Amino acid sequence: MKRLFLLAIGFLFLITFAASGCIDDVVSPSPGVEVISACVTCHTDKEVLQELAVEEEEEESEATTGEG
Amino acid sequence: MPPLEAWEKVYIDGEDFLEDTHNKMGCVVCHSGDNTAEDMESAHIGLIADPSEDNCNTCHREIFEKNETSLHTTLSGFISALEARGGNLEEGSPLATAFENHCQQCHLSCGQCHVSRPDEAGGGFLSGHEFKSTPNMKNNCVACHGSRVGDEFLGENEGVPKDVHRKKGMQCSSCHGQELHGSGELAESRYHTTTAVSCTDAGCHDDLYDTADSNPQHEQHLEDLACQVCHAVDYKHCYSCHVSIDEQGIPCRTSEPSVMDFKIGLNPLKSAERPYDYVVLRHVPTCPDECVYYGENLLPDFDAQPTWKYATPHNIQLNTPQNASCDSCHGNAELFLTEEDLRPGEVEANQGVIVPEIPNPSY
Ligand code: HEC
Ligand code: HEC
Ligand code: HEC
Ligand code: HEC
Ligand code: HEC
Repeated sequence: MKRLFLLAIGFLFLITFAASGCIDDVVSPSPGVEVISACVTCHTDKEVLQELAVEEEEEESEATTGEG
Repeated sequence: MPPLEAWEKVYIDGEDFLEDTHNKMGCVVCHSGDNTAEDMESAHIGLIADPSEDNCNTCHREIFEKNETSLHTTLSGFISALEARGGNLEEGSPLATAFENHCQQCHLSCGQCHVSRPDEAGGGFLSGHEFKSTPNMKNNCVACHGSRVGDEFLGENEGVPKDVHRKKGMQCSSCHGQELHGSGELAESRYHTTTAVSCTDAGCHDDLYDTADSNPQHEQHLEDLACQVCHAVDYKHCYSCHVSIDEQGIPCRTSEPSVMDFKIGLNPLKSAERPYDYVVLRHVPTCPDECVYYGENLLPDFDAQPTWKYATPHNIQLNTPQNASCDSCHGNAELFLTEEDLRPGEVEANQGVIVPEIPNPSY
């Protein structure tokens, strides 16, 4: 559940950042994709995502040993 | 399977994206938020990253309803094993807390087989938000079923060849299909589902009984030995798993290094579908004080269930050390689980599965 939440937060961040990018006209949709929403515009742009994506915090415990 | 980078997890491959029925609906239908809002920040408040729960059922009702009974949804295999050992999983109990911390994350949503990698493996799209009819072997199934079945099937245990079916290019989905959505009836464990796949399902080795007289071992033993007794090779055993919370407050577990071995024992789950007297057994990670971090004696009836459990190793071979001849197996005590193999504290639990007498040599 925690992971989902983190992912959701991650998404929010991405989209927020990317959205400001969109407004500045920095982001352009990949060719062939109809612009149906800002979500699609940004999520189809590799460079924007690479720039903005934040690595999620590692939730795996270092104390874990052996196989699951 | 290397983890995806953060951006890759949410990257939509533009090319085919809008051709998919699902994607044509627009994002907010499933993921919520408001795509008409000018201010993006507020437009995405309430975003649901994995919307499987409340959406797939609107169109895939039949699968959804069945899937409510799938072990991937209910985790009833875990629950029934704990309860059979006297565990109390009532809400708020110490064991229920342990379950919540250490088991619950293996619950699977629809999207974690069809759209994304499982959360357990860090998530991220399988292929740009495409809805895959067939889940991916490495990125879905083996992401969770890695250390035992995955390593066996793919030949990743040192010195042990991959499964003969893998050698022929088969995938998990070559045998496992929609039965994974469940049978519609709740099942106690994976060996109790009425839809579990078997070696002799239609189209697969269903002629063995007709041709048995051309194979002396089949002729003698198709009825009383499980196929794996003759056709599986060394597989993994785990011991002494303990769960706890580490100093950072993150759930963790420790266990001894796994051991490769091969053990034939008595069938603890004899049924019409599994009539064999002898099967191969796998030592499962559990131990009497597995959950001691959460309280003393949380599995008060530990001995009620064997720790050597019915197993179906996924490393099938035509020729194995034990099926080279009748006497490779008969009289070969090493192959059989006996009292000597049991750890102190687990002797009682396994009385029902140890072999009382090694079959005589010289047939
Ligand atoms: C609005 C209705 C609708 C919703 C909601 C919906 N689906 Fe579908 N789904 C369809 C239709 C229609 C098809 C078959 C048409 C097609 O293959 O494009 C389909 C096909 C599929 C397929 C097979 C794809 C293939 O290539 O054969 C999968 C897997 C799938 N859906 C999973 C899901 C999951 C998981 C969810 C929830 C996250 C979901 N669907 C939500 C309508 C829906
Ligand atoms: C999130 C981790 C996870 C993923 C991903 C996953 N499984 Fe499982 N699977 C489990 C767990 C946990 C159980 C045992 C549940 C229990 O016993 O209560 C299970 C049980 C099973 C079973 C026995 C029960 C049944 O439904 O027949 C089979 C077979 C199986 N998985 C195959 C697969 C295949 C094939 C895939 C890929 C399509 C897959 N699993 C993906 C975690 C996972
Ligand atoms: C453990 C993994 C797993 C989970 C979880 C799962 N599925 Fe599936 N699903 C499969 C497999 C395996 C197939 C069969 C693939 C094949 O035949 O190649 C399948 C097939 C499908 C299909 C295609 C059906 C067809 O007629 O071709 C749809 C639609 C689908 N699943 C929807 C869902 C929905 C909706 C959920 C959640 C309620 C769900 N699945 C949960 C593994 C899973
Ligand atoms: C007592 C040991 C034994 C058992 C039990 C056994 N097999 Fe075999 N099986 C053999 C031997 C020995 C061969 C022949 C190996 C060779 O050709 O070198 C063989 C051959 C085969 C073959 C290839 C030739 C053929 O007859 O088609 C298949 C497939 C096969 N077994 C499947 C199975 C399945 C499925 C089961 C369970 C229903 C099973 N076996 C149970 C020992 C066994
Ligand atoms: C991989 C192990 C294995 C192989 C190979 C094997 N057996 Fe057995 N055999 C057993 C076991 C285990 C029993 C005990 C079965 C029981 O009591 O139900 C047994 C019992 C028997 C019995 C006694 C049956 C009874 O009910 O008392 C005969 C006869 C026999 N085997 C013949 C053979 C012959 C002949 C071959 C070779 C063609 C062979 N076996 C190969 C494991 C094997």
